[in-house]
Amino acid sequence: MVKIKRVLRLYALYAKMDLAWLLRDTTFAVLAVLADVITNLSSVTGVFLLAWRFDGIGGMSRFEVLFMLAYATIITGIFQTFCAGGNVGHISRRVGRGQLEHMFIQPMLLPAQLATEGFIPFSGSSNLISGTVIMIIATVNLGISLPWWWIFSLIGNLIVTVAIVLGKSYLASSLTFYAPVQAEEISSYVIDSFGHISTFPLSGMPLYLQIPLITFIPTGLLAWFPTLALFGRAPFNLPAWYPLLFAVVLWMIATYFFRKGLNFYVKKGINRYHAMGHRR
Amino acid sequence: MRKYFITAITAMKGQTNGGIIYMFPNILVSLMYLLPLMFLWRVIAADGTDVGMTLKQLLTYTYMNALLSEMLVVRTLASSWNYEGQLISLFARPFPVFGQLMAQTIGGWIPMLLIFSLPMLVIAPLFGISIIPATVWFFPSLLLCISLGFAIDFIFACVTIRLRGMAWLGHSIRMAIVSLFSGTVIPFRILPFGLTKIFEFQPFGSLGGAPLSLFVGTTEPAQIIATQIFWNFVLWPVAIFWFAKSKERQVSFGG
Repeated sequence: MVKIKRVLRLYALYAKMDLAWLLRDTTFAVLAVLADVITNLSSVTGVFLLAWRFDGIGGMSRFEVLFMLAYATIITGIFQTFCAGGNVGHISRRVGRGQLEHMFIQPMLLPAQLATEGFIPFSGSSNLISGTVIMIIATVNLGISLPWWWIFSLIGNLIVTVAIVLGKSYLASSLTFYAPVQAEEISSYVIDSFGHISTFPLSGMPLYLQIPLITFIPTGLLAWFPTLALFGRAPFNLPAWYPLLFAVVLWMIATYFFRKGLNFYVKKGINRYHAMGHRR
Repeated sequence: MRKYFITAITAMKGQTNGGIIYMFPNILVSLMYLLPLMFLWRVIAADGTDVGMTLKQLLTYTYMNALLSEMLVVRTLASSWNYEGQLISLFARPFPVFGQLMAQTIGGWIPMLLIFSLPMLVIAPLFGISIIPATVWFFPSLLLCISLGFAIDFIFACVTIRLRGMAWLGHSIRMAIVSLFSGTVIPFRILPFGLTKIFEFQPFGSLGGAPLSLFVGTTEPAQIIATQIFWNFVLWPVAIFWFAKSKERQVSFGG
């Protein structure tokens, strides 16, 4: 109970700091909001225009595609809100820059720091808000009646998907302990570069493309699979909880390799700083 | 000219300093963009809808975009170097800043062209991709696209300088705008609501989408080339003038 209270206090503290950071300058605040709005709209517009032009894609209707795009936007929003601060999600940057030992001297467990430090609810939530609005529009236009528990299923799916994004990042970032300079940006590749592919509807594509994209390179699990599962049409007749199973296995593997890398790190360290504090 | 050449060679070598294996993520990302999009076109074509482009044109468009992506939407290191405090060091060298950035950027393209684009070009016919442009006007259009790309990049560098520590804001806006409005991902030709003409005439439309549409032969060369020349004439003076005004606003602590 004490630990939970402390975590909540930390969330409140980070929220306060984030608000102060956003409002330090009116121009900055306006630009930040504007940038997010433009980025969000642009990222979903292209594929939705295609879906509109061709009355859906590969068996998915226009508004199912829009729902999928909204899902992807909400995932980005949740990630940004809870994990974007201090590169907690893009953990390879922290590791590669030799900044992890900064956390070792804090009077708090490393997992608790990682769980709270990334919280930026004011500057990071625009994707979450716009994604929610787009999802409501899509759901209303789908014209289907959904059971009462559907919203909980949606929330569960969102949590699992964010867990997959983080699991991928932490697994790939384990390499950074051994190659800090070369792998410093590996989280960006795993999260951002591959994340963009999640906006492509995979319906109608051949199996030899779909299967790798829900297993080895699981971009299909970030929006396409959960969208179809939420409408009761999970691909390949897989159970709707397949992403949960995937997330659990991924986290087990990621935890093993991240701990292994961390053990290496505490023995060897990362020599990337000059005596005057500049990074090599 | 030699100094530009040496700068380009240095940039080229810089890409592979850690070994060619460190270029693998970029190649993987390029392939991961290419494959789903190519299959997306097949799915759309299989529905039998009139797309306004043949399947071969769509596949070629996407394939050539992947091969020439760095040229079709030029990105120099100006913005990130400004953020990292490195841009100022370019002023201490005995040749123009724009020239250095252009030489550095062009040199940086070469490893990916050799390691990724060239082999992909050789195997392109296996996927039913045409590697012969529909018109020779593709080549001048590509040059105009690259030229305009540099101008737009320098304008964004000025935005970054003006935003001081908020470089990522400029970066976010730029990436989002360019991916949609350059026409490199989704050809303007297949957009709904009569957006094709609007998108073709806005400045970003003269970037990648312009030479690609000439490559596959879906647009009249005269219109494309004229629009590209127009935007080059408009945006280069803006870039030069604004950079001259902005350069003294740079702040650098290094690190």
